[in-house]
Amino acid sequence: MKKILIVDDEQDIVESLKFVLENCNYTCYCAYNGEDGLKLAREIIPDLIILDVMMPRINGFKISRLLKFDNKYKNIPILMVTARTQEEDKLIGEETGADEYITKPFDLDDVVKIVQKYLEQDN
Amino acid sequence: MGNILLISENDSIISAYRKLFDNKFYNFNARCTETSIFDLIEVESPDIFIIDQNIEILNLQLTIKKIKTRLETAQILLLTDGYNVDDEISKIVSGFILKTYSENLIISTINTHLKTKENLDKLSEKNKDLADSLYRLNVLYNTSSQFAGTLDTKELLNYMIEGLDKSLSFDLTCTLSFGFEQEPVLIINALYDISEELMSALKLRTILNYKSLFSNENLPFLIDETNLKIIKNIKNPNQKFTFSIFQFDNIFAPIDLGDKFFGCIEIFKENPFSTDDAAYFQTIIRQVSLPLKSAGLYKEIIEKNEELQKLERVKSEFISIVSHELRTPLTPIKNALSILASGRCGNLGENAIKFIDMAKRNAENLTNIINDILDINKIEAGKMDFNYKNINIHSVIENVKSNFDCVAKEHEIIFTTDEQQNLPEIYADSQRLGQVLTNLVSNAIKFTPKGKSITIKSELKNAENINSNPYFENEIKTLSGNYIIVSVIDEGIGIKNENLLKAFDKFTQIENSLSRKVGGTGLGLPIARQLIKAHKGSIWCDSEENVGSSFHFAIPVSTENIEIGTIQKELL
Repeated sequence: MKKILIVDDEQDIVESLKFVLENCNYTCYCAYNGEDGLKLAREIIPDLIILDVMMPRINGFKISRLLKFDNKYKNIPILMVTARTQEEDKLIGEETGADEYITKPFDLDDVVKIVQKYLEQDN
Repeated sequence: MGNILLISENDSIISAYRKLFDNKFYNFNARCTETSIFDLIEVESPDIFIIDQNIEILNLQLTIKKIKTRLETAQILLLTDGYNVDDEISKIVSGFILKTYSENLIISTINTHLKTKENLDKLSEKNKDLADSLYRLNVLYNTSSQFAGTLDTKELLNYMIEGLDKSLSFDLTCTLSFGFEQEPVLIINALYDISEELMSALKLRTILNYKSLFSNENLPFLIDETNLKIIKNIKNPNQKFTFSIFQFDNIFAPIDLGDKFFGCIEIFKENPFSTDDAAYFQTIIRQVSLPLKSAGLYKEIIEKNEELQKLERVKSEFISIVSHELRTPLTPIKNALSILASGRCGNLGENAIKFIDMAKRNAENLTNIINDILDINKIEAGKMDFNYKNINIHSVIENVKSNFDCVAKEHEIIFTTDEQQNLPEIYADSQRLGQVLTNLVSNAIKFTPKGKSITIKSELKNAENINSNPYFENEIKTLSGNYIIVSVIDEGIGIKNENLLKAFDKFTQIENSLSRKVGGTGLGLPIARQLIKAHKGSIWCDSEENVGSSFHFAIPVSTENIEIGTIQKELL
C-alpha cells in the first residue's frame, strides 16, 4: 500500500484527509507540526506528502525546500496546502519545488484526484 | 554757521578774505599744501572751498576731484581774474568768484552757495532715508518670500532672525520658541560670545519676559531654567559681551499665532532703535506668524495622515487575518459534510441528505462571502493581481454557463446564451471576467422567478453605438473604439430607476420585498465594477420594475485602448 504523509497543525483537517485517503486504500501517517513532519518524512520516506504552509516551528515552504534539495527525497511529490491566496505565496511554493498547490478551503474530492494522479501513474 | 576754506598761497588774498569771514558767522581757514588741506577736511568738513586759480604748488584739477569724492555736497568756487580758465576745471567747479568782486558781492556769492550746500545736504539725507527704506523693503520682501517657501519651523525662525539682522543690525537676539513639540528652546544670535553668567542672566530675563505676558492667566507652557534648551549662534567668537548689554536699547514682542502661543523674541542694540525700527520689527514678527501657523497645521495634517494610513493598514491586515481565520475552520466543516454526503460513513436517509446539503450549501455561501471581503480588501489596497492574456470571451461564457446549468434547472429557469459568432479576442484576465459574469448570473438567478428566462448575450460594438439610460452616461462616455459587450438579461423583479446607481455601491442591497430572501454581502457588484475598470472597460445596467434587468459590461477589443507597455510586457 502506498504511504501518504499528512502534515498540518489543524487536527480536524488531518483527520478528514486521513479518513478519505484511507478509504481509498492508502496508508496515512500524520504529523501536527513542521518538525515532526520533517522527521517522519525522512524516517518513512512516503510516496506523497500533503503539506500545510502555515505551521509552528518549521513552515511548509522550508520543509519542501529541505526535501526537494536532498537527492534521497527529491522525487516525493509534495502537495502544498495554504489558506492564503496571495500570488506571492504561489510563487514561493513553486520555487520551493512543491508539485501541486491547493487553497483552503479545498474540496476533498479534488485532493483525492490529485493524489491519484501522482500515485496511480507509477503503475 | 558756514565753514569756509580758502586755498591760496597769496598772502594779500588770504588776509583780505580773513577780514571778511573771520567772524562769528563763519568758520574760516586758509591752507595751501595738499597735506594740510586734507588734514583739515578730516576734522572740519568745510562747506565752501574757495580755490585761487593762480596757486602753483597744487594740481588744481586733481585736488578738486579729490575734494569732491570726500565731500560730495561741498561747494567749490574758483577765485579767478576771469582769464585763462581751464575748460576742464570750469566744468567741475560749482561757481566762480571774480577777483574784481566787491566785498558785498563776495559775501552774497558765498551765502548763496552755503544755502545751496545746505539744501543739497538735506536732499542727500532724504535720499539716504529713502535708500534705507528701500533696503528694508527689499529685506522684507526677501524674508517674506523665504517665509512662503518653507513649512519648517526652524527654518522660519532662522529666516526671521536673518531678516531682522539685515535690516536692524542688532547686537543680540533672544528667541524663545515652544515649537510644536512643546519643548522650549532659546535661540541666541549674537555679535559676540556670551559668558556663562551672562547666559544665565539672559535665560532668566527671557523666562521673566515670557511670564510677564501671562501675568494673571495660566501659562500655556511650563518653563524653568532646567528644561530650557539653548541654541547659540555667535558671529565673532573672539570677543565677548559684558553685562553692559542690559543697558542697550531693546524691543520685545510675543510671537502669537492667534489660537496658539508660539514664543517670544527680544532684540538688543547698542544704538537706540528708531520708531521705524520698532514698526519694522513688529512687521517681521507679524509676517512670520502666518507661515508658522501654516507649519503647525501642516505638521498636524501629516501626523493625522500617518495615523490614517496606519489605521488603513491595520484595517486591511485585520480583515485579512479575520478572513483567514474564518476560512480555516470552514475547511474541516466542508470536509466533514462531504465525507458524510459521500456515504463513506454509511448510507443516509432522505432527510439527512437534505440537511447535509443545506449545511454544504451554506458553508459554500460563507466561503464566497469571505472571498468577496478579501477581494474588495485587496482591490482597495491595490494588491489585486491580474493575469492578462489575449482570450476569447466565448470560453468565459461557456464556462459560466455550464457551471450554472444545474442551478438554473433546480430553480426552473430557462437559461440560454445568445453569442455573436467569430468575435475578436480581448486582452483580459479570463478568471476575473469569469468572476464578474458568475456574479451577474448568480444575481439574476436570485431575482428571477420560476418559469422565466435568463440570457447571456455577447456582441461586438463600436463605442459610438453603445447606449445606456441617463444614469450611466458618465460610465459610457469615456469609451472609444471597439468593444465586446456581454449582457446578462433576466426577467426578474427589476430595479427601480432611482436605485440603479446604488447597485454598484459597497455594502448596499437594494431594498425590496425580497431582500431578506436573498443573501450576500452586497459586495459582488462593487467588486465586478472594480475588476471591469481594471480592464479599462465599463459596467452598467438597465432595468424595468417587474419586467427584468440587464447588466452589461464592455471590454476593449485587443490591440485597442491598451497601453503599449502592457502588451510589450506580455510579449516579453
